[in-house]
Amino acid sequence: MNIPGELWRLAAGSGFFLALGMGATILLPSTFTPPPSGLATRYTPQQLHGRQIYLREGCWYCHTQQVRPTEANQGTVYTRGDIGPVSKAGDYAYQKPVFWGTERQGPDLSHVASRVQSAQPAWELAHLEDPAALVPGTIMPSYGHLPQSDLQDLVDYLLTLK
Amino acid sequence: MAVADAELVRPREGGEGVPPTRPTDDEPIARYFIYSGVFWLALNIMAGIVLSIFLYSPAAVQQVVPEELRAAINFGRLRPFHVWVGIFGWVSMVWVGSMLYITCRLTRARLAWPGLARVLLYAWNAVILGAAITFPLGYTQGREYAELSWPLSLLLEACFIGLAAILWRTVAQRQEPRIFVSVWLFMISALMTPVVYGVGNKLWDPSGAYTGMNDAIINYFYIHNLFNAWFTTAAFGLVFYMLPRFTGNKLYSHRLAMWGFTSVWTGQHHALYSPAPEWLQIVSVSFSILTVIPNAALLGNWWLTMKGAWWQLRDNLPLRWLTVGMIFYLFTCLQGVAQSFRTFNSLVHFTNWVVGHSHLAFVAAYSFFAFGLVYYLVPRMLGRPLSPGLRRAADWHFWVSLIGITAFMYTLWFMGLEQGRDWAMSVPFMVTVRNLHGWFLIRLASGVVLGLGQVLFLYVFARYVTQRNPHPSPLPAGEGTV
Repeated sequence: MNIPGELWRLAAGSGFFLALGMGATILLPSTFTPPPSGLATRYTPQQLHGRQIYLREGCWYCHTQQVRPTEANQGTVYTRGDIGPVSKAGDYAYQKPVFWGTERQGPDLSHVASRVQSAQPAWELAHLEDPAALVPGTIMPSYGHLPQSDLQDLVDYLLTLK
Repeated sequence: MAVADAELVRPREGGEGVPPTRPTDDEPIARYFIYSGVFWLALNIMAGIVLSIFLYSPAAVQQVVPEELRAAINFGRLRPFHVWVGIFGWVSMVWVGSMLYITCRLTRARLAWPGLARVLLYAWNAVILGAAITFPLGYTQGREYAELSWPLSLLLEACFIGLAAILWRTVAQRQEPRIFVSVWLFMISALMTPVVYGVGNKLWDPSGAYTGMNDAIINYFYIHNLFNAWFTTAAFGLVFYMLPRFTGNKLYSHRLAMWGFTSVWTGQHHALYSPAPEWLQIVSVSFSILTVIPNAALLGNWWLTMKGAWWQLRDNLPLRWLTVGMIFYLFTCLQGVAQSFRTFNSLVHFTNWVVGHSHLAFVAAYSFFAFGLVYYLVPRMLGRPLSPGLRRAADWHFWVSLIGITAFMYTLWFMGLEQGRDWAMSVPFMVTVRNLHGWFLIRLASGVVLGLGQVLFLYVFARYVTQRNPHPSPLPAGEGTV
């Protein structure tokens, strides 16, 4: 091949730094496996199915599952501080994938099942079917078109988020 | 004095570099890549506008969508559609087409393995078509920029590897002994991207996901380094190609251009204040600050190469796209570093500011580069300039797009700052949502303006490429005006 030596060196150098960066920012952190926390959930088949619905419908695009130390017990969904306690690595021990998220068009759901209203299965189900009827001014779309069994499992999953 | 002035102000025919006279694309695959990218741009814009309506009033969409389509046409399913046809369809395919074409020009070589390149073109389009079909149907892996289901993901990885093979083989067959910096950057980008894509998508596991916190950490590595290794490293190469050709000036420094390699250590700044280890967050902030080195090298080179060429902005359309794109790229870098500081991050994280930032990078910077490439390369591939009428319409495309995207981004940044402030002040969430309602309408309106600009672009592009080509004989392989 008519490839000059400097180009091979460049490729090797780039590969080296890529490997180093991956080692430092992926491999090294992965050696630390936090033990499951009290909030980590081993899902039942229904809850796991509900979690798949959550993934499939892209709920995670608008709802994060990550409470940051700057807002823990301060941020407000309904009442002051009800965003809940700070998220810990162990909370996510059994999740694959995790739904940390990047945007909040809707509130954080890490502890949705600890809020008085949203801890009620009937409220959750009705809210999924017609959010605007329960929360005026919401920009959450309706999920009433999904089969009831899907919605039930999704509610089962949401109630694990204590 | 008169002589110096004459040298400084070199009049250029048509104001856009050496005018195209004969077709140069002995291998049309590169051109078809660009055509494909333009097609995917149309779908990207349509999905974007529907998503914008959703954020203003979901009922407005859901009421007109028939019951059986409501699952497919919903925010959470159109969001990956919009992103994928935009970044892997439009931007990436213009990148690939330009890289193939430019590499052949700069090395004076024929494209290696043209058969493979043709397969690559079909396969890449198949991946994006697959994405456009499977996302509305609900097939997703649920990870940002890594949603694509397993078989399609494998095919995309194969495409990236195929691209690397073609680029390296083309360079190996070159006639031109010196290798211009753009080609170096293309080659390195093509080598690193399959690694980043493969690891980020966990290609050996059909679920594509890691477990627990590591899933987030590796996803952050991936989303940022897909950006570094693929979009940015390749973009640097494209910029170094465009700058001297659009301006008629020599690239200020070839050596400085070599500093354009981006670091792969910064991804974890997405994990600030997360449960990820503290040391990892600090490392990522440090490396985010260090990105000043490649970016200052790029922007300095750009500034110094532009010396004496600014006056051309009036008439030189590709240069105008490139220049405004570079200014927005500078904004992207400044915002990126600012967002990696924890104080500022705690204010804007998770807000609509982030949405504005991603559009700044992908629309205002990279898509503007892509428009510059399309307006410069396609007329040279076909060997004929735009007709005066289309050229005027293309001017409108520029101004309408610029006004649309600027209004769009500033709206999102204001929204983000307002949200951040309200959240920090423990304002109830629904109050913050209602406060944004009017802003979402402005965002929708500016998105429509941006979209109208692209309608104009599609018209110009379609009219231009379907005109009869008056030039029967293409230039010999590797020759040409560029």
